[in-house]
Amino acid sequence: MTGKPKISMYWAASCGGCEIALVNINEKIIDVDANFDFMFCPCLLDTKKQEIKELPDESIFITFFNGGIRTEENEEMAHLLRKKSKVLIAFGSCAYEGCIPALANLSSRDELFKTVYLDNPSIDNPLGVLPVPESEVPEGMLEIPRFYDTLRTLSQVVDVDYFIPGCPPEPKQIWNVIELVISGAPLPPRKSVIGAGTSSVCEECDRKKSEKKVEKFYRNYEIIPEKEKCLLEQGLICMGIATRDGCGALCPQVNMPCTGCYGPPEGVLDQGAKMVSAIGSIMDIDGIKGLSDEKIIEKINSTIESIPDPAGLFYKYSLADSMLKRRIKP
Amino acid sequence: MKTAVYFCNCGTNISEKINPEKVEDAVKKSNGGIIFKSCGFLCSEEGKEFLRKDIMDNGIEAVVIPACSPRDHEKTFINVLSAAGVNPYMMQMINIREQVAWVTEDKEKAAEKAVHYINAAISRVNLQEPLEKKEIDVSPDAIVVGAGPAGLKAALSLAEAGRKVTVVEKSPTIGGLPVRYEEIFPNMECGPCMLEPIMGDALHGNASGNIEFLTLSEIEDVVGSYGNFTVKIKRSPRYVDAEKCIGCAECIAPCPASFKNPFNCDMNERKAIDFSFAGALPNVPYVNAGVCLRFNDNDGADGGSCRLCIDACPVGEEVFKFDEKEEIIERNAGSIILATGSALYDCGKISSLGYGKIPAVYNSIEFERILASNGPTEGKIKTPDGKEPQSFAIVHCVGSLDKNHKDYCSGICCEYAFKFNHIIRNKIPSAKIYHLYKEIVIPGKESGSLYRHAAEDKNTVFIRVSDINGMTVAEESGKKVFSISGACGSGGGAGGGEIEKRGGEVSEKISVDAVILCPAVVPGGDMDGLAGILEVVRDKNGFFEELHGRTDVGKSTIKGVYLAGSCHSPMDIKEAMSEGMAAAGYVLSGLVAGKKLSIDPISAVVNQERCSGCKVCIGVCPYKAISFDEKEEASLVNELLCQGCGTCAAACPSSAIKANGFTNEEIFAEIGIMLA
Repeated sequence: MTGKPKISMYWAASCGGCEIALVNINEKIIDVDANFDFMFCPCLLDTKKQEIKELPDESIFITFFNGGIRTEENEEMAHLLRKKSKVLIAFGSCAYEGCIPALANLSSRDELFKTVYLDNPSIDNPLGVLPVPESEVPEGMLEIPRFYDTLRTLSQVVDVDYFIPGCPPEPKQIWNVIELVISGAPLPPRKSVIGAGTSSVCEECDRKKSEKKVEKFYRNYEIIPEKEKCLLEQGLICMGIATRDGCGALCPQVNMPCTGCYGPPEGVLDQGAKMVSAIGSIMDIDGIKGLSDEKIIEKINSTIESIPDPAGLFYKYSLADSMLKRRIKP
Repeated sequence: MKTAVYFCNCGTNISEKINPEKVEDAVKKSNGGIIFKSCGFLCSEEGKEFLRKDIMDNGIEAVVIPACSPRDHEKTFINVLSAAGVNPYMMQMINIREQVAWVTEDKEKAAEKAVHYINAAISRVNLQEPLEKKEIDVSPDAIVVGAGPAGLKAALSLAEAGRKVTVVEKSPTIGGLPVRYEEIFPNMECGPCMLEPIMGDALHGNASGNIEFLTLSEIEDVVGSYGNFTVKIKRSPRYVDAEKCIGCAECIAPCPASFKNPFNCDMNERKAIDFSFAGALPNVPYVNAGVCLRFNDNDGADGGSCRLCIDACPVGEEVFKFDEKEEIIERNAGSIILATGSALYDCGKISSLGYGKIPAVYNSIEFERILASNGPTEGKIKTPDGKEPQSFAIVHCVGSLDKNHKDYCSGICCEYAFKFNHIIRNKIPSAKIYHLYKEIVIPGKESGSLYRHAAEDKNTVFIRVSDINGMTVAEESGKKVFSISGACGSGGGAGGGEIEKRGGEVSEKISVDAVILCPAVVPGGDMDGLAGILEVVRDKNGFFEELHGRTDVGKSTIKGVYLAGSCHSPMDIKEAMSEGMAAAGYVLSGLVAGKKLSIDPISAVVNQERCSGCKVCIGVCPYKAISFDEKEEASLVNELLCQGCGTCAAACPSSAIKANGFTNEEIFAEIGIMLA
């Protein structure tokens, strides 16, 4: 152990991409090591939970916590790291707003287990065994962490100081945050979203935008978009308009519509609702004047039907932190 | 923030159901002893004085008023707050009379509901911000587009009230459609004669100095907004100096070039230099450069050398301006009145009726010109072969009341159809006249007479046809033969003869010498261009859309752009005149010289820092109040045009637009407490 400020990174319900993103700051990781004691990261280091428990409270300067709270263990670690850290940062979309794992909040635990352990075509489970917290085996009682009926974001479980958005956060932005801390400059107001902008992805996107009127929406494989024109105007549902900037508009630059991983822009409570509202506003309804009510409904429905899986599309990252949050109360 | 609740008992309207003491206890409990007072009638003089004094005595900064609908008394209390020196936007009214007391039987529940409403309002009013009205300078002048009855009436009324008016008229003459009609319904007045006093006043009367007529002119571009429009007008050359020409018509006869006269629906010819018709105003001929030899022969140094008109002119060469060019004229005005009029539905779209293919099948304007003494036949009814027709079919409802064409009734066709009946009967006493119609529509106290003349005429036959546009007309040895299926034996004229007596639906053939089609009235002229320039919304039939179909028919959806006459709905001359007057009224009451225009601060505001320029908001604004600020790369709301509807704030995907008075924070606070 050294006298340098301690820094830790933990993963809960997440994919590991956040750790990769951290390592993707490349040679700057040496600067991190020079300035911090990187002492806990189950993905990269061998530090044990017990060692963290034994630390005095608030002795870790910063903890980057990625992943949502899906299990009893996730929750236990969230509380432990909150207690031991001076600054707890929800790192990446999962910890900040639930991300892909939170789409499971559209289903109950039982439904999830059924899909995963019983109905899954790649599973051979003739006895219908499902995970249970405690199982008796000849050697004694086996315990695994309880799987909750819902997924919560980190801030829905413990007090969080800052949020870094992204799935995963862009290495450049991770470095900006670390650099700010190293510089000793005053930290931004608590609870703010850091390592990102305050506007939307369109701010960083070079594509030409004009007044939007979209008659039909397409899935990515259906069209080859024009190079210069706003993707949304071409009928691709680009979430850029309702997504916080900071990523550098990487996806739209390479013809892929933004999927919204940087979460809602500053001041937006519900990214999905905002997107739906905006889509409703730009659907080209010029042609409906004079049509019968039935025809109008038909026209609108056919436009809406060209959008498969609206929940997965509009709430891909933000469901657990949206106004909807979940089907099952925690 | 020091907030107070002033509970109005509304006599017993509210307090009978909602016990003010109970509400007071509950509200004070959840709002830390907030000031809560009740009053018998807060809107009474006594109540208003109590409110004003109490606000001042207690240094109140925000007020919640549980009372009636804000539609009843919001203005009342806004004035009281202003009088008490408190920003009037620091108030929230709650309608606990209509929405609670009058609809809730159970007193306990009513009180509980009221408490919820009041608590929610307190949470919201505490977040409200003082808003200030802004004032801007405006131009009281107006631009009138179209010089038909509506436009003339509007222009003259405004000019008489001392306003400067520029009338922009596309054609070379003023007066609109009625100057083409020798006799108009219901009283058979002469159209041009009836309009003469109005046109005369506008051109030479006491107020004429305030009116500028720009004929052969069209709107090219409009920028700015209500109070301060800058209008670019494109004026095509007339080639004759309107000031110098005395209108003697000496130049016309010598002119060697001629073309089909559009004023007479191409049914006769006019000279390259000519009046549209005898008596046209302004009393100045105009030159059709497409035909005039000076523009089309190359025998002289500058084009053609023909100077027959010049030589005939008693005034002299200076009257002619053959080098005149198209010019762009700019005018500033606070208001714009659209009075661009209407046209007839193209009868050629119903090909079975033979229009444009069979001779002597006329639309109603063509027939008006045939009836006119200054028309192609000098008022004699003659078919193209020069014969006087002895039988007529007047077809009503052409293209009307038909979902495949126009689904509305234009409301004027039956009246002029019976006028035609009357005129034909006078000119050809023995003529047989058939009226083929789907519905007869003749509203109004003066319209009965012409109808009765037709109905009582023994040589006039009424045939009701279920599908007017499904009839076919064929030419058989010079006769126009109608094949009618679905004719209902109708109560026709007294001498209706064979058809009158039949009942039920029959198939029938009738033969006539001339056919007059009375088509649906449709928007006239270049509506596309004008609507595009002004961004005025059009309805499904292409007419300009009214702000409200009953209470604000004279307003377009764009503030400061008014509608008059048949450009927004089919109508007769009487209505068009009234609408012209009404539009003048809007201008006069809306913008007063020397008075500034005050802007309601309940409007949308773009946070340009946060706006990413996605332009979602621009198309959703029903008032065209949002533009794109290219310099800031962000949207910009024109607060003068903004009506505070909040549509853009809801549409903005990055919450960069704030709706003053209805911010997300205020609304969420309110909902949060309501649901708590």
